[in-house]
Amino acid sequence: MKKYIFGLLFFSLFLSGCWDRRELNQLAIAVAFGFDKVDDEYLVSAQVVVPSEMSVNGGTGKSQVTLFTARGETVYEAFRKMTKESPRKIYPGHLQMLVIGEELAEEGIGKSLDVLSRDPEIRPDFYVVIAKESAATDILNVTTTIESVPANKMFKSLKVSEEAWAGTKSINLDELLTDLISEGKEAAVTGIRLIGDPKIGSSKQNVESIKPAATLQYDHLAVFKGDKLVGWLNENETVAYSYISNTVKSTARPISCPNEGVATIEVIKSKAEVKGDVKNGKPEININVQVKGNVGSVQCEINLNDLETIAELEKSFEKKGEENGKRTIESLQKNYNVDIFGFGEAIHRSNPKEWHKLKNNWDEEFSELTTNIKVDLTILRTGTTDRTFLEKVQE
Amino acid sequence: MWFSKNKNKKASIPQSPLTSPAEESKQKVVIKLKTSLQQNIKTIQEALGKSSDIVTREIRIGKQGNIKAGILYTDGLTDTASLQNFILETLMLDLNEIDLQEKASPEQNLISVLKDVALTVGEIKEITSLEVIITSLLSGDTILLIDGYAQVLVISNKKWAERAVSEPTAQTVVRGPQEGFNENLRVNTALIRRRIKDPNLRIESKEIGVRTKTNIAIVYIQDIANEKIVEEVRLRLDRIDIDGVLEGGSLEALIQDSTYSPFPTILNSERPDVVASELLEGRIAIVVDGTPFVLVVPALFVQFFQSPEDYNQRTIIGSLVRFLRFIAFGISLLAPSVYIAITTFHQAMLPPSLLISLAAQREGVPFPAFIEVLIMEVTFEILREAGIRMPRSIGSAMSIVGAFVIGTAAVEAGLVSAMMVIVVSITAITSFVPASYEIAISVRIIRFVFIALAATFGIFGIVIGLIALVLHLCSLRSFGVPYMSPLAPFNVSDQKDTFIVFPIWKMTTRPHLIGKKNMVKQQDSASAKPAPPKK
Repeated sequence: MKKYIFGLLFFSLFLSGCWDRRELNQLAIAVAFGFDKVDDEYLVSAQVVVPSEMSVNGGTGKSQVTLFTARGETVYEAFRKMTKESPRKIYPGHLQMLVIGEELAEEGIGKSLDVLSRDPEIRPDFYVVIAKESAATDILNVTTTIESVPANKMFKSLKVSEEAWAGTKSINLDELLTDLISEGKEAAVTGIRLIGDPKIGSSKQNVESIKPAATLQYDHLAVFKGDKLVGWLNENETVAYSYISNTVKSTARPISCPNEGVATIEVIKSKAEVKGDVKNGKPEININVQVKGNVGSVQCEINLNDLETIAELEKSFEKKGEENGKRTIESLQKNYNVDIFGFGEAIHRSNPKEWHKLKNNWDEEFSELTTNIKVDLTILRTGTTDRTFLEKVQE
Repeated sequence: MWFSKNKNKKASIPQSPLTSPAEESKQKVVIKLKTSLQQNIKTIQEALGKSSDIVTREIRIGKQGNIKAGILYTDGLTDTASLQNFILETLMLDLNEIDLQEKASPEQNLISVLKDVALTVGEIKEITSLEVIITSLLSGDTILLIDGYAQVLVISNKKWAERAVSEPTAQTVVRGPQEGFNENLRVNTALIRRRIKDPNLRIESKEIGVRTKTNIAIVYIQDIANEKIVEEVRLRLDRIDIDGVLEGGSLEALIQDSTYSPFPTILNSERPDVVASELLEGRIAIVVDGTPFVLVVPALFVQFFQSPEDYNQRTIIGSLVRFLRFIAFGISLLAPSVYIAITTFHQAMLPPSLLISLAAQREGVPFPAFIEVLIMEVTFEILREAGIRMPRSIGSAMSIVGAFVIGTAAVEAGLVSAMMVIVVSITAITSFVPASYEIAISVRIIRFVFIALAATFGIFGIVIGLIALVLHLCSLRSFGVPYMSPLAPFNVSDQKDTFIVFPIWKMTTRPHLIGKKNMVKQQDSASAKPAPPKK
């Protein structure tokens, strides 16, 4: 008898299972979300993979992703409303990209992000970008080549360009939320632009030509004050921002030669130290950027065997870098009054007591902040030749 | 008190007149032979129901053939050549001139004279009990009856058709002896003895089975094997009261510790080198006549992953292969269940590209992953079983159909996804990696439990299942030795031969719980280490 009761209890365990079971073909795997604001309502779009088109056998030639859109008073409501259009429930576990429309960004992104940080299915490691001069829906409505899933293209493109070019800056939801709530740092998010004809862009035709009619391109850096978009940094400023925020992995930088012409320095390593200090109640920031690089290309007549030439090249790079950094900080101080570099955090770390006095008035303090930037380049290698062959080219 | 009465009734049943045939034979009175030759032959023939394979030959021996004698043997089990050369020829030709009656004295009767002087055969016995005579006759011995004597001579000249010592088929190695046990008990004990020429190697014989009277031998090395375990083996074998044992497997079932556990607690091997090395570790081998598989006790969990090849190979390679077997065991146990758990509960665990690729494969598959796995696993089990049973000549046709049906066709028909075929194939292949077939079968059963747990609870279910499995394994014992030792209870020095194989010169001790009596295998690992001579 005991055995039967035990058996009954054991098998009743299985009754509690299966509640969260979902087969793979019951999922609409969302790879990108787009948030826009239309007439006081959120317009949420989800780029969803069409698995049958992704199969190794090649599918039937239809688009590999599809876009579902829904409007709602809240983002969450819109998600659920999407099932009116979609045959499967949206599964956001593998989200790669979140695109936020410029208009919504100007109004404030905070409210729309809550659902993403709250939902247990969502991992906050996807990239957030701002659609510059367009709606997020339009960005998600462009076919791409090489990576046939546009979200993958956006994800990889941002990752690669951040690592190889430094003119873009990736930020995932986790980092963005940290920046939004930080007192001594404001958020900065890369912008994405639709270049070309959006009408052809959404069709398969777009990727059938060698040069697609519409492409997606990362450009500019959106500067936030609180959760509101206040302006854009251009490419040079973005590079400076990357150096100071210590995210440069590798990049290429043209510099002027000692006499005339240009050369390129390939940066292979960069380490920035931002140190805060408070002198007579006035905050001060010292930035020291240690850069290691190679001579990437030479388009002028210089002798690379000469150590002095190398030193001059280094000096030229350092000067240019320092100027660019100074200009970027000044522009932020003057135009936007926004501390995206985290200088406030640096002060907080070095002078916690002083920071408590400064933090309430940090925006004003930032605009009058003294910053010293010092760049120090070490050239390691000059490539496989020393003198350029250009010298021997007969005019 | 109705229940206590009931109990008493139950207890009294064995004493009731309705006894089993086994018990009946025990109570039998020993029937002695008479002195008349004719009567004796008749008694024996009647006892055997005049079976056609019993050959009776009446002869006359001695001077002028004045003594009547009878010879009985079982046709097919007796060596007729030696019967003619050493028994019939001696008795009928060589003894013609001698008056045997004269030679016999009050101290030594004719039978003894024949035994001591005349018959040139190795093993010979004087027997009076009819039961023993019949058993000997049926085992292939020749019976010599002399008129006027109530004893007979049992002459051992057994010989029957048997398989030669050949390569083991179930447990093969690349490097190592290619010699396997066969069905003959004596050949098998000889194969062991040939490897261990230690006077302490003991071979104890027993007869099991009231009707089959199967010979078995308990083999152990006296000064290494734990006396208590040897005694336990004897006890368990003596307890057996069955009409017949035809195979080592049924003997295993009669003496093993836990019948309902999926895991084997007795090791079997058809390799004399394996059995010899187990004996050297202090284990006890049970050789059963008629089976080329020798049982070894006590058997531990890790033993089923040890192959003789581990020691024949270089230590690094041996370790790698040993470790691989444990990994393969894990894969074979968990691959389908982990696949189900991840694809139906924890999709977030997969990298995006893999998830999309899996989802693409699952498009159009009508069944949930659980049913899909069941279909494939059951199909595979059926194919495997069919592969063993079917006649060898249709094997290749079968394997083509099998590979095609469970592979390509099932995927193309949209019945299962391609990934599922991969998972099931990997499971099938890995299940044969552990050194022992027994452990592979046990995994086969447990795998289905894990599949059910994964389909209901996901990874959580698998973890619960694993905890239960470990608890079960730790509760098992093989002849008093914890099954999971040397892992639980943990022993440091025994780890030299658990997950990795240490160099032979480093294994200085025998397994802690088995060779306790005589722990040291080699004195000093430092001197055993191969090194160039010191100056």
